[in-house]
Parts: sequence; C-alpha cells; structure tokens
Amino acid sequence: MRSLLIAAALSACAALALTALVEAKDDAADQSAKDVLPSGSVSSQAGLEAWTRIEAVVTHPRCANCHVDAAGIPMWTPAGETKTRAHGMNIHAGESRIGAETIACSTCHITSTDPNEPAPAPLRSGIDWQLAPVEFLWFDKTGAEICEQLKDAKRNGGRDTAGLLEHLRHDASLNGFIPRAWQPGAGRSTPPGSFEDHVKDVALWGAAGQPCPR
Amino acid sequence: MIELTVNGTKYQVDVVPQMPLLWVLRDELGITSAKYGCGIAQCGACTVHVDGRAVRSCQAPVGAISGKPITTIEGLSNGDLHPVQKAWIEHQVPQCGYCQIGQIMQAVSFLELKPDPTDEDIDLVMSGNLCRCGTYARIRTAIHAAAAKMAER
Repeated sequence: MRSLLIAAALSACAALALTALVEAKDDAADQSAKDVLPSGSVSSQAGLEAWTRIEAVVTHPRCANCHVDAAGIPMWTPAGETKTRAHGMNIHAGESRIGAETIACSTCHITSTDPNEPAPAPLRSGIDWQLAPVEFLWFDKTGAEICEQLKDAKRNGGRDTAGLLEHLRHDASLNGFIPRAWQPGAGRSTPPGSFEDHVKDVALWGAAGQPCPR
Repeated sequence: MIELTVNGTKYQVDVVPQMPLLWVLRDELGITSAKYGCGIAQCGACTVHVDGRAVRSCQAPVGAISGKPITTIEGLSNGDLHPVQKAWIEHQVPQCGYCQIGQIMQAVSFLELKPDPTDEDIDLVMSGNLCRCGTYARIRTAIHAAAAKMAER
C-alpha cells in the first residue's frame, strides 16, 4: 500500500512538473529565437574564436564532470584542488543517470532554486540532479571531439543551433544546471565568462556554420 | 508560515524557507532522532524520508520540500518496530549509536527499492552513511536479515 501511495504521489508531482516544463519550454523558445543570428553572418574565423571560448566552458570540471560515460560514475574536483577524481561515497548514477538503481542523486543534491551553499556542501539545481545522457560524453574528451559531438544531431539530442540555444534558455528558465555553473557557491571555481557570454558564443559559432578545430 | 507533514502529523512552522529540514525537526518540532553530523550531506547521520525516499535533512531547505510527506524513525511503523529496527537489535549493530538512525532510515528506503540486495548492492547504497565506530559489517548482516524477514511478510 505504501508503495502505491508513493507511486501515486510521484505521478501527481510529475503531472504538475510536466505542466511547468511545457510553459518554461514555450518561454525558452521565444527567448532563444531572439538569440539566433542569421546563418553566414559570422566569419569562420570568428566562429572558431567563439568555439575556443565555448570549449573552455564545456571542458571546465564544473560542466564536464557530470558528462560521463555509461559507467555512470560522476567526477569530483573538490574545492581548492585541481585533480579530478571519482565522486566520493561510492556513487553510481546507473543507467537511469539519476541513481534510481542505487542511491538517488537527490538524496543530497536537493531540487531547489535556493542559492548554492559554500563548498563543500552539495550543489543544488531547480532541475532534479542527474548526469547528462550517456551520448553527451564530454569528460576526458578533447575540445575538437566535443565540438564534433555538439553539431552531430545523433549525439546532441537532435538539435541544430537554434535547438542548442533553446536548450540553454530552457535550462535557465528552470534555474537548471547550466546557468548555475556560474553560481556554484563560495569556494568553487567557475567556467570562464558568464552564462550570457556562453549563449552569445553558441549563437556566433552556429551562425558561422559550427566550425570545429582540426 | 510553512506547512509540513511529519509522521502523519501536520505542522505549521514560522521559519525562513532556507532553513534546513534538520533544524526544523530538531529545534522547531522537538523531533530529535535525526542527528547533526557534518552539516554538508557527507555523513548521513541526518537521513530522513521525504516522499518515501532517503534525504539528507541537513541540506534540504524546508521551503523546497514543503507539502511532501516527511518520515523520521519515530514514524517508521505503528507501534511495533520495523523489521530493519528489529534486525539492528538482533545483530547488535550500534556501538555509540550516533549514526544509526541515519543508517536505518537509509536501509529502509533502500530495501523498498531493492528487497533482496547483494553485498555489492548494500555497499553501493550505504557508503554515504559513515560510522565512526566501524559497524559496517554488522550493518550489512542486519540488512540481509531484515530483507529475509520482509520477504516472509
């Protein structure tokens, strides 16, 4: 009976969350439409320069540490350290990527829009804590490899440049992982630039035809 | 005012929404079973259930969980002890006892997810609950025993 009640409560929460997600997605689509630059309006050289800045963001531990392979072990770069290692506490996020098979990420990473606490308290997000899908593998990949991946619809969630921009805006509308990479709480490093800089760079890179380093 | 339901009882608390659930339970409601260990979700002594799943209450802002049912060890069962609690007694798991409430709450949540765990399953889930007395071997034994008892029900 208890399991049934839990399942019913989760279903009700999921329905409410779905409504909020749909509304957020509409707003994100409107906003991202304004971010898109005309195709060909940016030179290949300027596009590559934009990619260099994007690469510095997506390879930063704050972003890459949860873009891991099918083993589902999140990575840690503890505050004040530069060496990255496997997440403590024997954490395996599993095939679900949310720890449903073992211990849920949300046991410690509470879904909350409250600001992050200073390190080493666990990070929070307005979206349930999770690893990125396994095909979005960034950890231990070169910038060139990630670039090719980001423009490959089979490995980027079927997104063109407009879709990538909408993804960024949608995540931000939910107070999600991407903008919060620049607000990780005191004591933690952040990727270079700002979230808005990152959106502009993705638009520039896209308008230049998504050039990748060789 | 923030509304909470703890062990089936409704409460209203006049606190800021950022206050961690652990503080609300202990200082506002006088429910002191969940313990303060590290304050940063790295030891598990503060574990309670929110919506039936284990959560580290020291890092759960009460405003983020308002409206969701909260269970502490006092509310695990009506009258009789939960099979996990009985197994803890049968196998004399605790030494100093400080972490054991969190261990039990994590184990109960775990067994609802995986009723017949292997040693590896147990290690994967229970590694986030630290025990300074080193009772890990007995924790594992008690979880197996509780799983067997629960399977008989």
